[in-house]
Amino acid sequence: MKADKDKCIACKRCFAYCPMGRIQRFVWHDRIPGRAYIEIDQEACTDCGMCLRANACLVNALYQPEERWPREVRGILSNPMTMFLGSQVPGRGTEEMKTNDVKGSFLPGEVGVGVELGRPGVGAYFRDVEIVAMALMGADCGYQLAMENPVTHFMSDKTTGKLRDDCLNEKATSAIIEGKCKLEKLPAVLKVLKEIADKVDTVFTVEVITKVTPEGEIPIKPVLENLGYWFSINSKNNMGLGEPAYNFYPQGK
Amino acid sequence: MTHSLHRRGSRETLSRDFVVLGCPATGVNKKGSAPKTQKFLSICYKHGPINLGDMKTGNIYNTTMDDILSRVTDGTIVQCTFDNREKIVALLKELKEDRPGISVIISGVTDVVQECMNEAGLGPIHSLEYSLGTWGRIEKLPDFMLLQTLTMCGHAMIAADLVGKLLRDVKRGRRTIAECVIEMAKCCTCGNYNLTRGEGLFREMLPLYMVHSLY
Repeated sequence: MKADKDKCIACKRCFAYCPMGRIQRFVWHDRIPGRAYIEIDQEACTDCGMCLRANACLVNALYQPEERWPREVRGILSNPMTMFLGSQVPGRGTEEMKTNDVKGSFLPGEVGVGVELGRPGVGAYFRDVEIVAMALMGADCGYQLAMENPVTHFMSDKTTGKLRDDCLNEKATSAIIEGKCKLEKLPAVLKVLKEIADKVDTVFTVEVITKVTPEGEIPIKPVLENLGYWFSINSKNNMGLGEPAYNFYPQGK
Repeated sequence: MTHSLHRRGSRETLSRDFVVLGCPATGVNKKGSAPKTQKFLSICYKHGPINLGDMKTGNIYNTTMDDILSRVTDGTIVQCTFDNREKIVALLKELKEDRPGISVIISGVTDVVQECMNEAGLGPIHSLEYSLGTWGRIEKLPDFMLLQTLTMCGHAMIAADLVGKLLRDVKRGRRTIAECVIEMAKCCTCGNYNLTRGEGLFREMLPLYMVHSLY
């Protein structure tokens, strides 16, 4: 995001809307004596477009230039109104468990593990995303990346989790690594994440997905309890109302 | 996409906080899903959500219900936020009888959601996603009080500075609390921000913020 120096009157109305915090500075206009405008720190800005959508600018000084690779990844992941063509899903992730009832993305015995870096309000550089992705792929825990996920798309080597070098210094409001592993490998995956928690310069949320059994048992719950991991009382729950229903138990259960 | 998962707060407030999503599946039922999604949205609307939207169009505080409905296309994911358990039960009962055909997801306190499903005659949850919390440099996060509000927008579009500004605006008499809550709802494009819960949290934060001048 940028501010047109010939329009901006440095009124500061847009400042409060920035999810990245105070990333603007005042600059004196070089041709108009006494006139100040704001400059948005392009390194800190994630091109999320929030200040523009807020209609906070009285003089229409804010504008989003069309960005080229690699900077364009900022807007792709940070602006919720942008759709990543690879996933065909609005936003920065995939359909994950939302459509598990019809797609069978996470079968019994499988666990979806997602790691979202940067939110809320911290942001994440892709160099940190790479640290997490390479740790997951480098460990012997059978972690399989979700191929339609935008971060996976930005990898130069999908077997190691290595991201393209030219996007490592780009920053997003948040970026999600999505994938799955076998239930028995969940402790190993979580151990990897625990070990790299102090190696990244941002925050990340961890989420785990499971198919609930027809009897209502949640297979990952005893695993998390036994390992002593905190998990929230609130969860995202698929109601199983989608059609046609995926047959999870072709042999009957 | 996990934007309704990581909401933080007490059991008391989260128990009155439900995000209902309607999501067609790419490669399965996405083609021709627009009428199904519109039908799902209309059913949800009938049951009185506090917020409703589609991330590509906006929510009912940014635009109109008619606009949201008319801009639904194949693949649109819609979201409705409810502040009342009884409405969820009634909604699920209707969705059970009149299935929209697309996947329906509810974010909320797990056992409360399961109770609602039981009361609606739906049986156990099909698939579930847990949040294991926030790891890494958590010292960079805002304090928990603020975090409860900020995490209601899963795309993290409600800025910490905005909440502070709005709190000070109320103290200076520039805005009402209701106006502030709507301002925050406008930032959360998808319609995930629960205005009822948001207002309660906002009132709790009011005494914690100071203004240097009333002008």
